[in-house]
Amino acid sequence: MGHKDLDSLVSLQDLDLMIEEAEDVEKLGFSITGCSELKVARKELSEKISKPLLYRYERLRGKLKRAIVPVKNDICLGCFLRQPTSIGAQGREGNDIFTCENCGRMLYWLD
Amino acid sequence: MQTMDLTNHFKKALFIPQMKATTKAEALEELLDLFVNEKLVKNKYIVLDMLNQRETLGSTGIGSGIAIPHGRTTATADVIIAFGRSQKGIDFDAIDHQPVHLFFMVIAHPNEQGNVYLPVLGSLVTILKDSHNREKLNTITTFEELVSVFHGE
Ligand SMILES: [Zn+2]
Repeated sequence: MGHKDLDSLVSLQDLDLMIEEAEDVEKLGFSITGCSELKVARKELSEKISKPLLYRYERLRGKLKRAIVPVKNDICLGCFLRQPTSIGAQGREGNDIFTCENCGRMLYWLD
Repeated sequence: MQTMDLTNHFKKALFIPQMKATTKAEALEELLDLFVNEKLVKNKYIVLDMLNQRETLGSTGIGSGIAIPHGRTTATADVIIAFGRSQKGIDFDAIDHQPVHLFFMVIAHPNEQGNVYLPVLGSLVTILKDSHNREKLNTITTFEELVSVFHGE
């Protein structure tokens, strides 16, 4: 099914994108009052993820908008490059989270 | 602030001069239905959830009778604006607690081409802060008149 922290990591990224966008639209003149609640949720979620993995994620998020992306039909949906089938088998096993050799994003398998 | 030309983001089929909705929930759904009917949004309920979730962060009723509900979803392909008007006004939890008469719903794909989503929202806010523009929008009757307000400068 995949790595045990996978769901948390994907949810964390969803939250991060939501917070980032809320802060962006706030600058445009919208009233954002619920951001602190999102940040509390983010903190709670991040504490569930193993430290090295969280560190890997945050370092990537500093460089890329999306740090973790799905693979579909062996294609990385971050950069659209085909992944070796062997990685797919290991990735689905879930002992580790693999990165795309081309773009460096963390990967998870949809199929 | 410089505003961009928004005319290409409006569509004739996404224009309701007289909205039927009387509540915030109905207003969101009535506007979203325009996208659904034009097949610009694939899954109505995913997008409705997203819009409601966005409202919980802070009402998109920005005051002076204006609301700009917005969000990103993979259920659409581009950055598209629907316009609806309510003569009576609708309680939308606006920041100034006044009823909303003019609605602009902005739906964008997460990876839309050209990164225009935020500039589109910013331009809308700027144009709608001008009371002269709001007055025009309260009286227009055709899509062509609507679009003429958004030519940018
Ligand atoms: Zn990649």
